Amino acid sequence: MNTSTHAVVCSCFYALSLTVTPALAADDEMDALSLESAPEVEPTAPRNIKWFAEGAWGSASQRYLPDSRNIGRASIDFSYASRLAPGWRAVVSDRLDYFEPALAGSDAAVNSLREAYLSWQPQGTDSVLELGRINLRYGPSYGYNPTDFFRDGSLRVLTTADPFALRENRLGTVMLRAQKLWSGGSFSLAYAPKLEDQSSTHGWNLDLGATNNRNRALAVLGTEFSPKLSSQVLVYQESGQSATLGFNMTALLSDAATAHMEFTRGSEPDLQSRALGVAAPAFTRNRFSGGVTYTTTSKLSLTAEYHYNGFALDQAGWTTLSATPGAPFIYLGEALRLQEIAPRQAYLLYLTQKDLGYKDLNLTAYLRLNPGDDSRLAWLELRRHWTNFDLSLQLQQNIGSASSEFGILPDRRVVQVLGTYYP
Amino acid sequence: MKILIHLLLTFWLALPAAIAAPLASEILAASDAIRNPGKPFSVTVTLTEFQAGKQVDTSTLTSYSRVQRQGGDFASLIRFVLPLRDAGKLMLKNGNDMWFYDPASKATIRLSPQQRLLGQASNGDVATVNFARDYAAALAATEEIKDGERRTRMAYKLVLTASTEGVTYPGIEMWVDAENSRPLKARFFAESSRLLKTVYYRRFQSQLGAERPTETVIIDGLNPQSVTIMRFSDYVARDIPPTWMQRDFLPRFQPE
Repeated sequence: MNTSTHAVVCSCFYALSLTVTPALAADDEMDALSLESAPEVEPTAPRNIKWFAEGAWGSASQRYLPDSRNIGRASIDFSYASRLAPGWRAVVSDRLDYFEPALAGSDAAVNSLREAYLSWQPQGTDSVLELGRINLRYGPSYGYNPTDFFRDGSLRVLTTADPFALRENRLGTVMLRAQKLWSGGSFSLAYAPKLEDQSSTHGWNLDLGATNNRNRALAVLGTEFSPKLSSQVLVYQESGQSATLGFNMTALLSDAATAHMEFTRGSEPDLQSRALGVAAPAFTRNRFSGGVTYTTTSKLSLTAEYHYNGFALDQAGWTTLSATPGAPFIYLGEALRLQEIAPRQAYLLYLTQKDLGYKDLNLTAYLRLNPGDDSRLAWLELRRHWTNFDLSLQLQQNIGSASSEFGILPDRRVVQVLGTYYP
Repeated sequence: MKILIHLLLTFWLALPAAIAAPLASEILAASDAIRNPGKPFSVTVTLTEFQAGKQVDTSTLTSYSRVQRQGGDFASLIRFVLPLRDAGKLMLKNGNDMWFYDPASKATIRLSPQQRLLGQASNGDVATVNFARDYAAALAATEEIKDGERRTRMAYKLVLTASTEGVTYPGIEMWVDAENSRPLKARFFAESSRLLKTVYYRRFQSQLGAERPTETVIIDGLNPQSVTIMRFSDYVARDIPPTWMQRDFLPRFQPE
């Protein structure tokens, strides 16, 4: 085929495509217009009660024992919110988990009364007053939230390694809270009194000792500078310590990208002293978490975060601690209880993919990296949605040398299948 | 000389149509007024998704919308109703300020326009939008088209070009009924001029004082076999304070 013939053939194909494509598109559009919407849902009052039941079964291969261990869990998750009278609202949220075998140092059945509070908003005002156990959460980061000041001690049980799902199980703190809203901003004050000295391992205990073991107060000023930039300034004070200042911010970078950061500066003993119960002077240090989320048109979202905890051990300190048998476990346990990162610096990659090759099949995965010892925690979940039921497969792998943060953990690999029923 | 005669002839022939036709911006504003009630309101939105003509998913939302300031754009607070696993979750869209709130995790997450929470439909599809505010309109033609009910209608074809920053679609073609200013059809384009979706407005019914479209059919630009029908029902005029339309209100929202 010579050049001129080729050009003529190409022109014909091009002309043909111009005439055929709109015709095809028009046919598709007419086909689409013959489709009918699903029936409308009859207008009903919003449901006050929401609950679901979940079962999990799996296996964990152990680092220090030859055999794998089976793990099982059954859970009921319940929440209730209702308008009692004009301006008055009641909220109750509870979760019951039954573990087989029971978690170390805990009952097999563990109840978590997450929230129970009354809310009063005087008619025609933008102010609200709340009293009771409230789950008050701040901070836009995914894996580490320095400005989430009421996070420590709030997890009674660990049912997942997913940092997002973990937040759903946490206990609120008993407090009196007032908030005033205006266009583009808000100010809130919260006071949480000391009610108990110690946390309880009894399964049916309200565990006020976990969340209200000292007097605490928090003031938060929220400001939306523009549609692309918002921030919160926080001042936190607890008995026996100087005030901690906090700041967080989120920004829209482009059609596909957002950024977030959190920063706190305060004085307290270092994490190792707190974990080992050693009296130590308070130091002034920073905590920081910041990252970027990018979303593609194919519904893939990737978040990369950097975490810094000035109170945590650096690599040299961790190496020294590892020389004392048992001490690293106490340190890591305390970091987990306080929801702190254990190393001085860490990275997180968090990925979600909706409709992974199949509608309603979602992938969530993350990787935590400790750059000091190069240990990693990798976690992955495949979740398939049906109308009233979810089926999930979760895999967790703790990777690293024997003395590293993740390499020291008793479970090397955890595989779980979960079924969740939404009635 | 030939060119000059041709231009004069074109101008002379087009002059009566130009005099008869209203300004493109007026057509667009009238069309906006039909799509959007002029006062704060709530509406139930039923989304039905189809692939190759087969229904694959359905979900229900309640949208609360209001104009944030005189001449400003709409802000919408959207509550998920069905499926049950998502019931109670909230999405806020106030221009480019978009947030997702999950009452279970108490997490409030800033969204980028590209993040989709609603299957095939974009977050902007369920929010109320005033095109006249964000786009400059030009009248491209007056022509016959098939409307959403597959009837032939005489329509003004408007070409909309983004006049403000941060709009979801840089370019839109819109057909507005020449007789009654009803929006009939729109085609939405990406910056690369790629067709993102075609939308038909149909099933006009009396809602909050005007005949408004109660269904939009959204046809994916890349895959026309992927179709979403959004049905709007139960329009209710409501007192929606401007303070609702911000991140810090989301944990306090209580459906009525």
